[in-house]
Amino acid sequence: MISKYVVNIAYFLHTCHPYQHSKIFFYNLLENQNYRYKKYFDYFMIGLIFLSVYILIRSVKHEISHDWLIFNNYIISLIFLTEYLIRFWIYSNNSKIIIDQYEHDLFLHREFSFTTALKKMGKEKFKYISSPMAVIDILAIMPFFHELRIFRIFVLFRVLKFFRYAKSLRRLISILASKKFEIMTLVIFALIMIMVSSVLIYVMEANHPDSKIMTLADALYWSVVTIFTVGYGDIVPVTSEGRSVAMLIIVAGIAVISVATSIVVSAFSEKIDEIKEEKLLEEVSRLERFYLICGYSPLTHEVIRKLHKRHLPMVVLEKDSHKVAQARTQGLLAIGHDSASLHTYHLLKVNFEKQVEAVILLHESDVTNIYAALTIRELTKHTSLFSILHHPENRRKLSLAGIESIINPHELIGMMSKIVSTQPIAFEVIHALRSEETSTVVEEIWLDSGMGERFFKLLHDPLFYQRFSVLGIYKYETEKFLFNPSPDIEIQMGDVAIVIANRSLVDEFRTKLHRKQKR
Amino acid sequence: MNQSCAAIFGYNEYSKQIIQKIKGLYHNVGVFVLNDEELIAAQNHGVFAEKFDLSDNWQAIEDRFNVDALVVFCALRDDAENVFLTISLRATYEHLSIIALAKDNESMMKMKSAGANKVMPILQIAASVISDILAKPIVTEVLHDVLYEDSDLSIMEIEVTNTSPLCGTYLHDTHFKQDFDVILLAVVDHEMGTTFSFASHGHNHHIDGGDVLVAIGYKEKLTRLKRWVRGEAS
Repeated sequence: MISKYVVNIAYFLHTCHPYQHSKIFFYNLLENQNYRYKKYFDYFMIGLIFLSVYILIRSVKHEISHDWLIFNNYIISLIFLTEYLIRFWIYSNNSKIIIDQYEHDLFLHREFSFTTALKKMGKEKFKYISSPMAVIDILAIMPFFHELRIFRIFVLFRVLKFFRYAKSLRRLISILASKKFEIMTLVIFALIMIMVSSVLIYVMEANHPDSKIMTLADALYWSVVTIFTVGYGDIVPVTSEGRSVAMLIIVAGIAVISVATSIVVSAFSEKIDEIKEEKLLEEVSRLERFYLICGYSPLTHEVIRKLHKRHLPMVVLEKDSHKVAQARTQGLLAIGHDSASLHTYHLLKVNFEKQVEAVILLHESDVTNIYAALTIRELTKHTSLFSILHHPENRRKLSLAGIESIINPHELIGMMSKIVSTQPIAFEVIHALRSEETSTVVEEIWLDSGMGERFFKLLHDPLFYQRFSVLGIYKYETEKFLFNPSPDIEIQMGDVAIVIANRSLVDEFRTKLHRKQKR
Repeated sequence: MNQSCAAIFGYNEYSKQIIQKIKGLYHNVGVFVLNDEELIAAQNHGVFAEKFDLSDNWQAIEDRFNVDALVVFCALRDDAENVFLTISLRATYEHLSIIALAKDNESMMKMKSAGANKVMPILQIAASVISDILAKPIVTEVLHDVLYEDSDLSIMEIEVTNTSPLCGTYLHDTHFKQDFDVILLAVVDHEMGTTFSFASHGHNHHIDGGDVLVAIGYKEKLTRLKRWVRGEAS
């Protein structure tokens, strides 16, 4: 009966949108590094930690007002407790565990085993409770029981909560964790050395009247201070035997420090590329809009150089590490991952519709470009795909892979040869207009409905007359280009005027057109 | 250029496209290749090709073409060979029209130094087209149609003759847009050689015989304008 009731509740929660949405919201807020509001939550918690520590320090020599103590012991602790409970809640999905168990038992024609489901749920939750960060969280809540004086010191555990909110600290821990074995070996070695030297120095010095080493605790203190090469000098060996031990300990201490340093340095140097890559991926996922260029080659370099004027970031995906290094030396945002792998885009956390202006496939092989195109098409149907074509016979294959714009250099050269050999000046004129290397440019001016009259009126303005050519208007609706349009043409939203004039004049025209529009 | 025949050096994907696009423009098109592989490939495609070497013996060309009316396309695979071919041709024929292909800007400079009239850097051309499509898709499409496609809208170079009604007039006196439905893009002053100035600069150019007008419009209207400029019809 209870089991049935539990299953019903599990199904209800599993399909209850408000419940699921709130769970997702809290998961994003507490765990999702890419959630835009998470950082504000982290700042808030860091602020509370600082405040707690400040109150603790101030309370040592000053009287703290009652309100502040209440705030520190109850309010902050309650906030931390709430956070702890929410983390406990979102760590695993109990309703799913119950449903899975129920359906599993149902499939095998068994009675639903609520106990098994309960065990699974308990196991999952215990995983959270026993995790180091959760232990720190619970210790940070302890000042709530401030009546027990000892718990006041637990405020310091709140400092350890920084690991939750400071990414760089988490990274440091993960780097050091990669050298767990070496660090453990060193710690064991240091402990053995401390133990041996403590006993030795105690045996050598404890009975000497001038020695300050009276107890084993004194010996232990002296050993730790000596082995880590601090040497306060408050306790010094006075016997020859003790000094011999000290010399050995100092040498061993130097070795411990050196090995510890080398472990940390090697951990960092091994992880440095990984860290850089991680930072790059973060940088890309934060970009609002960018061009995604797959493949790095001399052509890529040239395309980027030309696109530079657009002031839109460009991200290069290239699997070859040498090419990635080359791209990075050019100051490019180059990611060393395969553009034809879904895993790459999951790593990048890229939202094609929102972030990617266009994908440009510039690998040095049609095969790779097709493969990458098909991968991208699995993720998005709407993002524009451009590709270079290396072998004309592959054109149809590229089209089938979902690439809308195919650039065939052979065909371009053929067409250019024709115009260059027959009308070289005409070609140069168009080339100069498009290259934007002269002051005269050919530009697109986006129009809005009702702009027609103003547009044609402005053309008769003395500033623009004779110096501003309207080549034509591209009709958005019919996708037709109307050459040398007459002033009575109806302008609709999305229509584009193609004009030829001095760059400054085009800017001025745009400004005047929109200013008049506002009026 | 008033050439009536074309010689293409090299047989590869680029030459194939060049042959395809220009064959209607020249009554005599010849292909010259360096090796047997290219020779067989050309023959397999039904293209008559002859072998040549990079020596200074151009007898085969002189036998087949009128060199004064010849345009040469240097489309060999290797840039170094193309440069050598260009410099060899220029050394022999001072006034020959040479159009060369280069992999990139670096090779383009060498070919220009070697004496090519026009060099097409493949890398930069492809990159320009890609960036143009991304930056100004509509402009690129329209200008592509005007330049390369056999569309109604076209571009034309019109030389002003000494008997033209335009001789002695000023640019601001012309109304090509209203009178001919044609847009004047640029003017080449014959005294300045091949350098052009855009009509939209606002410079009130004095038109003389020998000047060249570059205009965009529908083909039949451009032809009408051409006839009028040449003083053939009103």
